[in-house]
Amino acid sequence: MTQHVSKEDVAASGDQDVSPAQEAPDRPAPNPRLAGAIVAGFTALAVGVSVLGGDLLNPAASTTDGDYSGETVEMMIPLAEGGGTDIWARFVGAELTEAVPGSPGLAPVNDDGGEGILGTNHFMTAAKPDGTEVLVSTASTVVPYLLEMPAVRYDFTELRPILANGTGAVVYARTGAGVRSVEDLVDRDEPLVFGGIAATSLDLTTLLAFDLLSADVDSTFGFEGRGPVNLALQRGEVDIDYQTTTSYGPAVDPLVEDGTAVPLFSLGQVDDEGEIVRDPNFPDLPTVVEVYEQLYGGQPDPESLETYRAILALTYTYQKALWVPEGTPDEALELLRSTAEDLGADPEFQKSAAEVLGGYPIDASPDLAERIDEAYQVDDSVREDVLELLETDYDITID
Amino acid sequence: MTDAAFSALGSLADPSLLLMLAIGVLAGLVIGLIPGLGGTGAVAILLPVTFGMDPEPALAMLIGALAVVHTSDTVAAVLLGAPGSASASVTMLDGYSMARQGQAKRALSLAFLSSMAGGLIGAVGLTLAIPLARPLVLSFGSPELFMLTVLGVSLAAVLSRGNVVKGLTAGFLGLLLGLVGTSPTTAEERFSFGSLFLSDGLSLVAVALGVFGLAEIASRVGQRRVTEKPVALTGGWGSGIREWLTHWTHVIRGSLIGIWAGILPGVGATAGTWLAYGQAVATAKDKRKFGKGDPRGIVGPESANNSVEAGDLIPTFLFGIPGGVPSAMLLGMLLTYGIQPGPAIVTDHLDLMYLIVWAFAIASVAGAFLCFLATGSLAKLTKVPFAVLGPGLLVVMLLGAYQEGGQLGDLWVMVALGVAGFFLKATGMPRAPFLIGFVLAIPMERYYYLTASLYEGTEWMTRPGVLAFAALLVVPVLWSLVKKLRATSGAADDGHRDEHESEGVAGDELEGSLAGTPWSAAVAVVAVIVFGGALWMSGSFSEEARLMPRLVAGFGLVAALVLICQEARARLRGAGGHPVEDVHEPVGGSGATGLATRVRPSADTPALTRHHDLVIAARTFAAMAAFLVLVMVGGYLAATLVFTPAFLLYAARARPRTAIVYTLVLGLVLLSLPSLLPVDLPTGLLQ
Repeated sequence: MTQHVSKEDVAASGDQDVSPAQEAPDRPAPNPRLAGAIVAGFTALAVGVSVLGGDLLNPAASTTDGDYSGETVEMMIPLAEGGGTDIWARFVGAELTEAVPGSPGLAPVNDDGGEGILGTNHFMTAAKPDGTEVLVSTASTVVPYLLEMPAVRYDFTELRPILANGTGAVVYARTGAGVRSVEDLVDRDEPLVFGGIAATSLDLTTLLAFDLLSADVDSTFGFEGRGPVNLALQRGEVDIDYQTTTSYGPAVDPLVEDGTAVPLFSLGQVDDEGEIVRDPNFPDLPTVVEVYEQLYGGQPDPESLETYRAILALTYTYQKALWVPEGTPDEALELLRSTAEDLGADPEFQKSAAEVLGGYPIDASPDLAERIDEAYQVDDSVREDVLELLETDYDITID
Repeated sequence: MTDAAFSALGSLADPSLLLMLAIGVLAGLVIGLIPGLGGTGAVAILLPVTFGMDPEPALAMLIGALAVVHTSDTVAAVLLGAPGSASASVTMLDGYSMARQGQAKRALSLAFLSSMAGGLIGAVGLTLAIPLARPLVLSFGSPELFMLTVLGVSLAAVLSRGNVVKGLTAGFLGLLLGLVGTSPTTAEERFSFGSLFLSDGLSLVAVALGVFGLAEIASRVGQRRVTEKPVALTGGWGSGIREWLTHWTHVIRGSLIGIWAGILPGVGATAGTWLAYGQAVATAKDKRKFGKGDPRGIVGPESANNSVEAGDLIPTFLFGIPGGVPSAMLLGMLLTYGIQPGPAIVTDHLDLMYLIVWAFAIASVAGAFLCFLATGSLAKLTKVPFAVLGPGLLVVMLLGAYQEGGQLGDLWVMVALGVAGFFLKATGMPRAPFLIGFVLAIPMERYYYLTASLYEGTEWMTRPGVLAFAALLVVPVLWSLVKKLRATSGAADDGHRDEHESEGVAGDELEGSLAGTPWSAAVAVVAVIVFGGALWMSGSFSEEARLMPRLVAGFGLVAALVLICQEARARLRGAGGHPVEDVHEPVGGSGATGLATRVRPSADTPALTRHHDLVIAARTFAAMAAFLVLVMVGGYLAATLVFTPAFLLYAARARPRTAIVYTLVLGLVLLSLPSLLPVDLPTGLLQ
């Protein structure tokens, strides 16, 4: 083989090597002075570039002039692609950026580590406060924040909301597991298997509902998302599940039609007076409170009900929101917020958004920041109640 | 149904749709060439462009890009040994070996033709599979998905070159690395040492490009001239097509496996390509050349590679569960047009479904055809000395890895894994199972946990699907045992996975060159320490989070201990008689010291070559670390401007003019990238 030629051979035979286009097999070391000069020249250029050209390379966003043209809004979606939050965020993000003056580009980034905690942590430490980076929050990131879990390194009081949007959810069960109506939730021979992502995610509200009803349910966590749980229910691995309003239609309606599954109740909505009422999108389904009355003939324990109500408001009424970092200029935030408010009032948007938003309005009124702030101040008694439930029923302690 | 199919085809005759498709294909091909950007990058670039378009042209453009990204990412894997995705690492096994034997053009032709066929068969399969998809997906519960992940890792461990114990050790190391970060079942942090960065888990691109790409640079950068002798392929394209046609059964089998695996959400794509490789090996009579440039090792997986993409669209559309990031973004795009995924999509949007199918077929044929036409010029890349390619590759690969998380830490991880990859390679530990283990670790844990909690006791093990997978796992092992027994009683052995057989084939000079030396014993000892440490650390996790790390570390410890025994035995034998590794004739690996020592015709030449390789690798990794320090100080562009000329002049000994032009071009590319692609340059302290 040609590689085994010795130095002498090479010197004698010259460039008879495989690739005559290339230099001789072993090139001489470069002239030290010339090489030094070249490297020094480039070093000088490098220093020039890094000191003077820094702004040129990463041009500062100009978002305070009421015009986003030429910018790209990066939207951090801290959950997996294709889930309810992802659907919502991509839709709202696309519509919002198109409506903002200058129609900036939209770059959604999914970072689904740790059920949303990691992506949000990342946003907290890395996001540029110039109005071009937006965070999507959802119950899976809000619940761990409320429970003050150690992995949480973000603080919603250090972020500023652009808009919020609520949603609802429906609990349904597999008829194959012997469930026909809500009566089959209690006094069972064998508990129903509930498939969840984590007890400290949006699942918490459903778990509180089961607790309120004293339903005979066994929970298994660790699923990738609600889509896979829905599939597992169709396979018979899981008996009871819930889907949020946006994914209920495509995922559960066909199952109800062919008799595989039966809807049981909706988690309900909290109205302006703080009462739990029927979900406007599921007017025929009873709420948890109604189911309690039907099963036990009375009102649930007021303390448990208050815990459920507070968590329901937080995880469903203000479920999803878009945020910018605290240092974002007021002009940029106000531009985004007012655009969102106009968008929410636009009948054409309402029509096209009906499917994705599931009929819950976009909330971007000027007092949104105040109201969100209030909702995020949860009583210690509620927090203790939830922690106790997690510890006794799900063996989860939060240090 | 046929009406809708033909009307969709008719609508594709619309020149504006075809134009969009062509733009998508070109963008996909170009982006696929850059290791690390891949499908995510392609869709991320095109998605903003599609806003405001009608659904049809937007879909045509995105599907065009998606269909071809895995066609062109073969180029880096085959020519440079730098796979940007887990599935490209399969093609690399035989493709890269073939390229190193000077047959880059042949390897690429086979790969592209297979991609073309895979995409085409995938599109047909997509159409036919729609009615079957639902029962198929529903028949795969958590136990089957768990078994599929096990199968993926074990196939990689067993089928990669090198002995099985080494493969298994590498697979367990990969699994352990994949467990770093937050647990999928309890959301607690494992092996993160309190670091926010590690709690996120390691990025796939950083791991793949580090273990393969950087290790490749380090082991070949000492090469200042081209050592491969290009084998002249006479007959041009015609002969390439003829050779490929002789493997048509592998094309069809690979494609079918790809479609089937792609339909299974989550684990399909990675495991599927390995299954395709596995069946090619299992059904071949002469297995000796697998891993050393067997055409069947390229054709099977490469066909699967593209049909997986088609299969993947099925769970995306029917269940709204995308198998990968690209299909997820496609899903997002559909949703913004108010098209909800779900079984109803077949009835409500049949025309759109067919448009997707046709666009996919046309794009994969066109993309593979373009690549096929370009094989000649692409293959010329192997004529450039690696020392000259090195700095440019390094800069591009590190930049690619930076894009995923936007963290400099990823780049340090990548260089550290490059060192690990170098030693794995040099000691003959296969790296493919390492990568597959890393990718499948979390799905494996998730489905194991779900299986254990949703099924009582061992009832799940008797499910037919599980039994079938178990048979796939066990039968080849038993078969090889039987063969081994027969071999020891005098019969011939098939030679496959016997590392000492490799002498005859001109392969990679470094691969396994340190096997049997104190270095490989040291790697085994390090593996034991890593597994032991992991076992000890997992004691502090909660019961659910500790399950998987314990299993992996426990089995890994056993594998590593067996490896140590093997090493010890080999050394004892080596000391007594003829050392095995001395038979291994060094091929290539030139450079000043190498040439000077090569003159002495003595028995310790291999030892000197080894020493030489190690010194060069150590220097290269030191240079990479120096580059990262420069990046931290002055930012990416400035670091490149200093690093590239210095490396080219002192390490590669390029001509001054080459160094200046090279650096200026690279600098200009970096300067213009952020405005052309969604690419961020790392910034330094001075900026």
